[in-house]
Amino acid sequence: MKSILLLEDLPEIRTWLKSLVIQVFPNAQIVECARVHDALAQVSAQKFELALIDLGLPDGSGVDVVSALRESQPEALSVIVTIHDDDEHLFPALQAGAYGYILKEQSRELITEQLQRISQGEPPLSPSIARKVIAYFAAQPKPQVDTLPHVSLTERESEVLLRVAKGFTLPEIGVQLGLSRHTIADYVKQIYRKLNVSSRAEAALEAQRLGLFRR
Amino acid sequence: MHATSLAQPLQFNQARAVTADTEFYPDLPNARTIALPDDWAVSRPGETGPVWYRVTFDAENARANGELMALYIERACSSVAVLLNGKLIHVSGRLTEPVSRNCQRPQLISLPGALIEPRGNQLDLKLVGFPVHQVASRQRAAGLSVMELGSHAALSAKHTLRTTFSIRLPQVIGGSLILVGGLIFAMGWVNRAQSFLAYYGALLIGWALVLSRQWLSDLPWPNASSEFLLAILASFVTFAAVQFLMRYGSERRRWIDIGLPLQCALMPLTLMIAGPQRLHTMASLWYLVLALEVGAAVAVYLHKVWHIRRPQFWLMSALGTLMTVAAAVEFLAQQLTIDQRLVDVAQLLPPLMFMSLGLRMVQQYGRALQDAQHDRAELERRVQEATTQIERSFAHLADMKVEQVTERERKRIAADLHDDLGAKLLTIVHTSDNERISTLAREALEEMRLSVRGLTGKPVPLLNALGDWRAEVISRLSQAGVDGAWQAPAEDEVPQMLSARAYVQTTRILREAVSNIIKHSGASRCTVRCIIANGDFQLIVQDNGNGIPLELDGRLDRGHGMASMKHRAKQLRGQCLVESGPGYGTVIRLTLPLDQHVAPA
Repeated sequence: MKSILLLEDLPEIRTWLKSLVIQVFPNAQIVECARVHDALAQVSAQKFELALIDLGLPDGSGVDVVSALRESQPEALSVIVTIHDDDEHLFPALQAGAYGYILKEQSRELITEQLQRISQGEPPLSPSIARKVIAYFAAQPKPQVDTLPHVSLTERESEVLLRVAKGFTLPEIGVQLGLSRHTIADYVKQIYRKLNVSSRAEAALEAQRLGLFRR
Repeated sequence: MHATSLAQPLQFNQARAVTADTEFYPDLPNARTIALPDDWAVSRPGETGPVWYRVTFDAENARANGELMALYIERACSSVAVLLNGKLIHVSGRLTEPVSRNCQRPQLISLPGALIEPRGNQLDLKLVGFPVHQVASRQRAAGLSVMELGSHAALSAKHTLRTTFSIRLPQVIGGSLILVGGLIFAMGWVNRAQSFLAYYGALLIGWALVLSRQWLSDLPWPNASSEFLLAILASFVTFAAVQFLMRYGSERRRWIDIGLPLQCALMPLTLMIAGPQRLHTMASLWYLVLALEVGAAVAVYLHKVWHIRRPQFWLMSALGTLMTVAAAVEFLAQQLTIDQRLVDVAQLLPPLMFMSLGLRMVQQYGRALQDAQHDRAELERRVQEATTQIERSFAHLADMKVEQVTERERKRIAADLHDDLGAKLLTIVHTSDNERISTLAREALEEMRLSVRGLTGKPVPLLNALGDWRAEVISRLSQAGVDGAWQAPAEDEVPQMLSARAYVQTTRILREAVSNIIKHSGASRCTVRCIIANGDFQLIVQDNGNGIPLELDGRLDRGHGMASMKHRAKQLRGQCLVESGPGYGTVIRLTLPLDQHVAPA
């Protein structure tokens, strides 16, 4: 990792996170921000490979930064670092294009490990998030406009999601399906990506509908 | 000169007649023999009378027979005095103004036997009447009908029949019309929405007054006034009839509303201007106009009803036809001399028609009343329904509002907790050098988060809760190097819901139990079993570790969190049992009653 964006408003936590990031990626160049506004400016100014983004910030939500990053730098990995563990807060961030989330209060060792996993392409997925994803895709309407891509999950992806929802860990699912750990991780990444793409399509459709109304 | 045998009534078809206003039959040279019936309008146009008539007869067997003899005069218009052999034997009414109006009243005059001679009896009649141009109807123009002489018994039957038709029936019918008309008028008066009823009632009453001309003989004013009143009565009857038809057919017109009363005022005016000498001509003209108006109203009404209520059309057009026939006969009778019986029948037709239509209207009114009551009951029922619905909706809305406000408040508290307390605890977690303090802070943070979830959370499906618990337990155990196993009922056996509080507390107990195993037990294997049985939800956590030493159990309870686990279980009305022995591992049994915290989905 060469360049990393760190968005966190609490100075102590930011310092702590920075030290943690340096420990995982010793040679990285870290850009620190405390406000959404600053982060957006940085996103438009330079390229990042990884972004650690807090959700609740004084001047807005980190979700906006995730969206901006997804829009301008699709290769950048957005990771939510938050105190909120409930899917009500996490799901919108994942829809916006985040590739995973880390709960701040976890021990240094745990976070370090999760960070490494995410950067290696193994994003986490909790049962409640998995249920939310399943419900989201189940409620997706058939595409009304041909130009917009209709995103649906493959059978395997659905299978993985269902098992996660039941409480099975990703390694367990790998064993159950006879798949390697990397393949399972790829499925999860794919699920995150599709969630993002579908959400964007939905948003575009919504915008188009609003546009039609205004005309 | 006639001779009579009483078996066969003697009919006088001619008489000597002379115009003179004297006390007795005057022997004047201008007397001449005329044919009976004598119509002044034909025999002596323009003359105003009185006229003396004389007939003679022989009655040789009459006295021997001992039977009462009588003279029957079908029509002596307007009033007559009868003298037998110079003696006054009968007066039908007043002979001077106001002259009695007896045009329709047949006269049966008993002839006193003492006055009858065997031969050469003289019957003198003094007839007082009015020429046709002074009366509104030809029926009341002066004239004398054929006279019959015979036994009283034989002629009395004729007299009774005639009286019935021209006097009694009009009286009875007139009375009924006033009764029914008054009733219908009152109905229409009370219920203004059905004003046609009032007009119909007025029409019936008006017609009853018209009928009174048949039998009402003695009025306290001159004949000319009576005729005038009768004539203008027609305009009021027309007013009522036309208004009734228009309103019955829902064809209200403002110009009709104004025009008809105006006409009622105009008619007497024109009659007065024309004067009593031209009353008949003027009245006939008016009758024609009024008849045309009624005819037009009938046409309008029938046209309207044809498109709306077909059965009503047939009924009304039948009645209308009858009415037209009656009117035509009446009109012809004004101009020509027609058989009296036909005129009688024609006169009876309209009242009968009015009565039947009146009854039908009363029936319709009753039905409408019934319908209205039914509608009202229906309306009340609907209002009741709507009220209940509104109340229910309102209650629902109020509930929703309360829920919304509560939800918003909870979210606000949750956000505050996260932002303030959460941030501070987090800072402690990651900045404290003391491992124990940072662990405590981390636990406090987790506690806070669970509390918030308990505060804001909705009930969760037990199946989802099991998924969450499994993921947490298994991943934590595997990270700690403990071999974890999870046993839970099949998906379709877990349809229940779990309250947010029960979910949170159970999560804490489970978390505490797993922490204990990782930290203290030294176990290599842990099995978690979930059982739903006998209305209870059971969670059994079993390890193969060292167990909890007795002295530790007593002293260091807080570190193991056994007390808090038991306390939490008690809060949920369940229990948490710990079975442990050194070297045998530990079994923690958490039992929660399902009916308290697990509601069917």
